[in-house]
Amino acid sequence: MKMKLFLAALIAALLGTTQVNAAKVRVVATLTDLADLTRNVGGEFVEVRSLATGIEDTHGVPMKPSFVPLLNRADLVVLVGFDCEHAFLPALLEASKNPKLQPGKPGYVDCSKGISPLEVPKSTDHSEGDVHPFGNPHYMLDPVLAKTAVRNICDALVAVAPEHEADFVKNRDVYLAKLDAKFVEWQAALAPFKGTKFVSYHGHWHYFAQRFGLVYYGTIELKPGVDPTARHIEGLVSSMKADHVPIVVREPQFPEKVPALIAKQTGATLIKLPIMPGGVPDTETYIAEMDYIVHSFVSALQK
Amino acid sequence: MCAGVEKLKMKLKKILGVSSALCLCATVAQAQETNAVEQLQQQLRQMQANFEKREAEDRQQIEALRKQVELLAQKPAAVTNPVVAAEATNSVSPGLFKELSDKVDNVVEAQKKSLPGEFNPAIGLVGDFLSSYHSQSADKMGSARPGGFDFWARSVELMASASVDPFAKGWVVANASADAATGESTFGIEEAALQTTSLPGNLTLTAGRFFGEFGRLAYIHDHELPFVNRPLALDNYIGGESRTDGGQLNWLVPVDHYISVTAGVGDQFGGDSPNPNNPGNFRAFYGLNFWGRASTFFNLTDNWQLEAGVSGMWNPKTQDRGGLLLQPNGVTTFTEKERRLAGVDWKISYVPLRENQFNSFTWGTEVLFSDNRFFINPDVTIPSTGYEGSVGSLGLYSYVNYKWSRQWSAGFLFDYLQSAQNHDDETLAYSPFLTYAWTHWNQLRLQYTHTDRSAVSGLKPDDAIYLQWSWIIGAHAHGWTQR
Ligand SMILES: [Zn+2]
Repeated sequence: MKMKLFLAALIAALLGTTQVNAAKVRVVATLTDLADLTRNVGGEFVEVRSLATGIEDTHGVPMKPSFVPLLNRADLVVLVGFDCEHAFLPALLEASKNPKLQPGKPGYVDCSKGISPLEVPKSTDHSEGDVHPFGNPHYMLDPVLAKTAVRNICDALVAVAPEHEADFVKNRDVYLAKLDAKFVEWQAALAPFKGTKFVSYHGHWHYFAQRFGLVYYGTIELKPGVDPTARHIEGLVSSMKADHVPIVVREPQFPEKVPALIAKQTGATLIKLPIMPGGVPDTETYIAEMDYIVHSFVSALQK
Repeated sequence: MCAGVEKLKMKLKKILGVSSALCLCATVAQAQETNAVEQLQQQLRQMQANFEKREAEDRQQIEALRKQVELLAQKPAAVTNPVVAAEATNSVSPGLFKELSDKVDNVVEAQKKSLPGEFNPAIGLVGDFLSSYHSQSADKMGSARPGGFDFWARSVELMASASVDPFAKGWVVANASADAATGESTFGIEEAALQTTSLPGNLTLTAGRFFGEFGRLAYIHDHELPFVNRPLALDNYIGGESRTDGGQLNWLVPVDHYISVTAGVGDQFGGDSPNPNNPGNFRAFYGLNFWGRASTFFNLTDNWQLEAGVSGMWNPKTQDRGGLLLQPNGVTTFTEKERRLAGVDWKISYVPLRENQFNSFTWGTEVLFSDNRFFINPDVTIPSTGYEGSVGSLGLYSYVNYKWSRQWSAGFLFDYLQSAQNHDDETLAYSPFLTYAWTHWNQLRLQYTHTDRSAVSGLKPDDAIYLQWSWIIGAHAHGWTQR
């Protein structure tokens, strides 16, 4: 009898603790932009951790064992998709032993759902470098496509915590409205520079360029994940001169030497731009990051 | 506002119609030719771009109007009335919107599935070729390869992996390796294992033929090592790779700090073990091999990390493994009876968050203690009641590796080994190495190794230069063990 009472108390205590823990939806986002969007949609009902701190390369977040317990206890993993995280996420998810987060499960929140990729390769042959096999995954630099990510995140949160649906939906719409207002502002800021060409180290900027009417001229690296050869640099410099490309973008996770050299040889302005929030100081949120990017372009082009 | 909504509804309907047609077309086209798919992709992209644009414009309109309404009503509708707010942005026709977006999703997802990357199973091929020069002849090095100039296609490995069902994944590594002595190509199954993917309680069970978890580098394939040759201690104490036919259970301890615990049981342990252990007529449970490992990880700073582990292996009954200990009289031999192995390992690494593809540093060390116990050879008629001899020996390796660009890295490996049969037989080796990774599928490594062997062994010191070329084609996983 005493035993039964004890067991009942134990079970109650266990249930109690799980309920306290379940009060917040535990989310692990791969990158800081997705973490920020999730915080905005989830508000007080989510606890969000990001694997990246913001200064990493989107394809090169170190695979730290300390991420494993985080993923082990998470309800959702929010990712960019299009194989953006292929160098670290699949192995981490396997090591996490969390059946809820495995690909295809509702806890695996692929934010690319509903986005049609640019640059889908005709072949994934490695003669083309470490190609993005599903197309370019860097759609988060397009604020309109980021809205699709916001909706995907909201749907996933609603699925895992339907009791907060009204809040999630409300938060989502408030955030989308904020983003829309910002988008108008960014569009207006970049409107005078329509058709401006620019190069960057890695192909992060196709979606961004397309959205804002700029022209993404090419990459400094030879192929995705393959450093440029001297001949490639030479060719790029001469065609940039001929086509009057005024901007060289350097993502901070790549060495400055080659982009700086190209800027110097072509007379273009070198700007350092983050590829996710936290990539450079004062870009802690997605909106702050996009503000920074747009203003950097504007001030470089106004010179 | 009403007119705007009507206009949008019309547009949505139009897109919906076209997109359903697209859905059907896409399915057929996939089976036929890629040209049509590309065209459709183009169209779809265009359409989605237009749709996004229109959507953005309409949202702006709605937002602007809503702001006006808010102003007029003098109350923040978005905050106080979530339902109305939600409807204001979404009420255009939620059902229709959802249906449309689902259709578009389906088309996009279907396209994704037709990509070549989706082949099942994932297949990769690894080649590992060595050319070398040794200053000493083979008999003076105790080596199966000739001294002097040598070319050796050490291994060609074919790897295939896929999910078996929702509960397990499976993989096979077949190795066509050139026999070190004869050069004859031998084809063998290095690994063929199943691993559960959804056991409860943070458990994973691996069964079949696989590399058992002991230490840090014993379960890594040759071509993935940071240097050319497997450290002497692993070769001598484990027998190369920690290959086994058996089962292994791994447990991720459910705490906030990373702790991983593994225990396994199996037939032979070590790739070069000549025979299965104790095959005989009837084998008791203790005729098998047992091993285990516990490891943990610390973030020392954002960029510096420490991984550490302890491992053990126990083979309680080894008579048939073929281990013999010749006594100084040159006549009496002891037969290996029991094999025990313990190890500690640590790896301190600098992996800068920002530029880790261009710059990193690793210091890895593994120290192994071997305890081999011998019976007097039963063929010799001397009565025996217990161990006649026990050889305790120590082996270790320690290496540093520094990477200063995407392509270049260099390091130094130190090897120390007391033979498992005779701890007075010591070997020391010093190996600086330089690696050039053309890309991460294709890499060249130049290594110099000076090996000092003690006189007891009857072998001579040796200088060697290696040039290793290893490459991968097809699928390769960024696996957990290779991190
Ligand atoms: Zn990329």
